[in-house]
Amino acid sequence: MARIEVKSEITGTVWQIKMQAGDTVASGDTLIVIESMKMEIPVIAEEGGTLVEILVQEKDPVAEGQVVAILEE
Amino acid sequence: MPWQAEIDELHRRRALAEACGGPEAVARHHAQSKLTVRERINALVDAGTFREVGKLAGKGTYDSGGQLTGFEPAPYVMGIAKINGRPLAIGGEDYTIRAGTGFGSDRRKGGQGGFIEDLAFQYRIPLVNLIDGTGGSVNTAKRKGYTVVPGYGQDGMERSADLLGVVPVVSAVMGTTAGGPAMRAILSHWSIMVKGTGHLFAAGPPVVERAFGQRLSKEDLGGTAVAVDRAGTIDNVASSEADCFAQIRRFMSYMPQNVWNLPPQRDVGDPVDRCEAALASIVPRADRQAYNMRTLLGMIVDRDSWFEIQPGFGRAIITALARLNGKVVGIIASNPMVGGIMDVKAARKQGHFTELCDMFNIPLLLFADVPGLMVGLESEAAAILREGVRARFIGFQVSVPVITVIIRKCYGVAGGGFTDRGGLNFKIAWPSAQWGSLPVEGGVKAAYKREIASAPDPVARERELEAELRALASPFRTAEAFAVEDIIDPRETRPYLCQFIDACQDRLATQLGPKLRAGVRP
Repeated sequence: MARIEVKSEITGTVWQIKMQAGDTVASGDTLIVIESMKMEIPVIAEEGGTLVEILVQEKDPVAEGQVVAILEE
Repeated sequence: MPWQAEIDELHRRRALAEACGGPEAVARHHAQSKLTVRERINALVDAGTFREVGKLAGKGTYDSGGQLTGFEPAPYVMGIAKINGRPLAIGGEDYTIRAGTGFGSDRRKGGQGGFIEDLAFQYRIPLVNLIDGTGGSVNTAKRKGYTVVPGYGQDGMERSADLLGVVPVVSAVMGTTAGGPAMRAILSHWSIMVKGTGHLFAAGPPVVERAFGQRLSKEDLGGTAVAVDRAGTIDNVASSEADCFAQIRRFMSYMPQNVWNLPPQRDVGDPVDRCEAALASIVPRADRQAYNMRTLLGMIVDRDSWFEIQPGFGRAIITALARLNGKVVGIIASNPMVGGIMDVKAARKQGHFTELCDMFNIPLLLFADVPGLMVGLESEAAAILREGVRARFIGFQVSVPVITVIIRKCYGVAGGGFTDRGGLNFKIAWPSAQWGSLPVEGGVKAAYKREIASAPDPVARERELEAELRALASPFRTAEAFAVEDIIDPRETRPYLCQFIDACQDRLATQLGPKLRAGVRP
């Protein structure tokens, strides 16, 4: 069971949380939406798996490269 | 055989050179997950193609009878070989011998102005530098008995600079690198650094500690996180030496042998008329929502032909080499996943990549979704206008065909950088496209300031004006006026572009040779 860290591409604020712990995730699914520079930037799972944990809450500030979710393959 | 003794001696000396810095030094080198320069060259080039030059160079020691008793090879290994079946010049420092520093010969084997650089220049074949050396040493003064002005004598950096106008030069940073070797890493068309073992800096941690009292590791100061991702001094990251060699071979597969030849074509059997249905829905209707430009482009270019340059630096822009119907193209695309706004790093990246493609007669495809230049004090202080205008200036001077594909936004100074003012100025757009000097929102507030302020209901008036202007912003109105040359169904993008890239090949074939540019870059 490989543990996969999902990172935010960009600095911004958490706008929406789209999935929750326990959900089955397919490659390309949007887990979280970050608001930055007036844009909605999705945090996308590059690989499929089971969502173990979302590490942020709505309105939280996030930094570029910050781990925001954990998946398990 | 009258020359048996001499031939035996030759082979004995060659065997001595094969030993590099000796078993202990080689073991220490291997323990750091580093291959020796000989192993590196053999791992990189086509099997059995390396023909070494200057293997006998080094320092021999002799007994009183004139018999060789010991031999230290020159700390540089070089020669010619083939990559993907094509000849090239290749060389690298041998770190196992005095950390790859010079050995004081009148003629250098490698490095700036060394034999290998002269060979690449005279034969007009690509050069690959496997860099693992720290350059000059204060010990040189001991050997010479005097100190030298930088640029004295054999400096040779002018040859490294000349090469950039005639043949592809690749540099791989495979160890801790400073001084001359660091300069040569940068005097290349494309560079790569091995994560963990590659470092690059103007001066290493001891010098920094003396100057600023700041204690940093080599990795903190010049590892990939700084030299590649933050500084963009080196272009790409390799996860291992094996990955480094795979990426070099890949980069070389897009390059011509020199500026007098076209890049190699490679047909992978991907049908020209492949129209991916998903292209029609990849751009969200809400223009606040991002989408993955790499996925979009992956559906357009030839299967497995994508190779990104500087993926970690200036991420607002994506720059990649790829193929369309087998022909090499350079792609510059906005990256909406990080907002797509052009900042100083993205501008630098766009300018450099434009020049690279122009030099080697690679046509450019520009995919725009750019809201503008990065605004704000930080960006202004970092010279966003100068960097943005410099990128455009480079764009004005290109001699390769350029095709603009406007995917969504194309605004202002940055948007203009996605057009080909110096050439045909050929722009096609998707139905999702929108453009202008600046977006309607905000733009209205600036242009109609007085009118809005004096209206009985300023907010309502602002909305009215916005609605009025937005109605004019339909791309179809622009196409009616032939102010954009075409609007295409997104699914047609691949066949459309393939046909134009095919059609421009004769243009490319008739403009080969070195390119001299006039003017002072802003």
